[in-house]
Amino acid sequence: MPVLLAYCSYSYSSEEVYGTTTNAANIGLNWVMSNILPQATGLTVNNVIYRYTTEKDPEADMLVHVQNENAQGNGYIFRSTDDWSGLPGNTINKTIPVGGIGIDFWGDGSIEVEGFGTVLDPEVYYTYQYVPCDNPQSNPECPGYIDPLTLIQEPEIDTSSEDYIQEELDRKANTKAQRDEEEKKERDKFAKATEEKVRESLEKMLGLSIGAGLQEAQDTLLHNALVATNYLPRTYFEQIKGGEYKDVEMLKDSTLPDNANARRVNFAQDIMHQKIVQSQYD
Amino acid sequence: MKKLFILLSTLGLAASINAEEMEVVGNVASKCVVIPDTAGIYGNPTADVLSTDPSDGGVDPVVRFDVIQASMYKAKISYPIEFSESPTLNDIVNWTGSVGTSQVSDTSMSGYDAAKIEFDNVTEFSLTVAGSTWFKTESQADYGYGKAFPGGVYRAVVSAECIAI
Repeated sequence: MPVLLAYCSYSYSSEEVYGTTTNAANIGLNWVMSNILPQATGLTVNNVIYRYTTEKDPEADMLVHVQNENAQGNGYIFRSTDDWSGLPGNTINKTIPVGGIGIDFWGDGSIEVEGFGTVLDPEVYYTYQYVPCDNPQSNPECPGYIDPLTLIQEPEIDTSSEDYIQEELDRKANTKAQRDEEEKKERDKFAKATEEKVRESLEKMLGLSIGAGLQEAQDTLLHNALVATNYLPRTYFEQIKGGEYKDVEMLKDSTLPDNANARRVNFAQDIMHQKIVQSQYD
Repeated sequence: MKKLFILLSTLGLAASINAEEMEVVGNVASKCVVIPDTAGIYGNPTADVLSTDPSDGGVDPVVRFDVIQASMYKAKISYPIEFSESPTLNDIVNWTGSVGTSQVSDTSMSGYDAAKIEFDNVTEFSLTVAGSTWFKTESQADYGYGKAFPGGVYRAVVSAECIAI
């Protein structure tokens, strides 16, 4: 039976699909229905099939509830109680028709034990049915499916209408005015930036720049970077040895003879000088 | 309506006198249904033993009784005491077995085991609760005095009856 129950068939068509869930209680006595039922539009649950074994003292009282919370309200949408009080433990196997309750009502499920005893090997299955293409938009394979992207279409425009032509003219005019405005702004911005640059340069030259210290720091950083990349010749950093550097060639004192060739020029200059001085008295 | 009545009366007077026999038919659907649920398999844990016990590698046969009306029927189940098919056996086979509930559809059916009546290889259960009850039959065959079963196929039959009380 579990093999048959575990078998679920799916096919996308307009015909109704019947199926059975896997064992909802295979990992414990509590389960989340959204993990158990296929999340199909219009799905209804027809039967709840459960089986479990109880271990208990025949004299002890024990109630076992197999239940599902009502997802749309308080209480339970399904609850089956087995009273094992005063009875020996056994395996119970029940199929309970629920009459096609919609998927939206099925809240989380559980097996709850009241009294003394243990539930072993629980199995809970739900049989269901739904029409896969009840909502054609639920799957692209459904007949009648409409691609939502095709619904987004640009409205048709009559380019010959007067309104359209007027709108186009207005739009172009607005565009030109806007472009002129933008160009003017761009020019003003450039002029302002240039003025600022010149002013900063002057301030720097005059040592008035507020950012002079910062510039110095930037220069230091640039220098360090250049040094790190070996861009600067190493000779820049060579230390010159200190001490006294004496002249090697020395001129010895002696009598320097007049240049005989230059005497004539000297006399001529003297005569000219005297003439000029005398001319002011003449 | 009145005219029709007169016409029928007239016809009645005009008809000749006849004798007729009418058949009455009724169908009674059984309120108790016996359905084989699980086929049994004999395991062969040792050379001289055939057993349906799962721990011996066997499978217990299970039969289901569906009762629509409570306290109207009893289940009579017999475990086998002979092979329906086997190789030729030259020694005796000792049969043991038991029948009990394996699953119930109502907790009240858990009391069936305590109330069952056993005699020979037969076990009777009073089906006092409407619903389905699964009965499991265990059986074991020991050959001779520790003698190995001859090789071959062995078959045995579990009998299950639903008897009106």
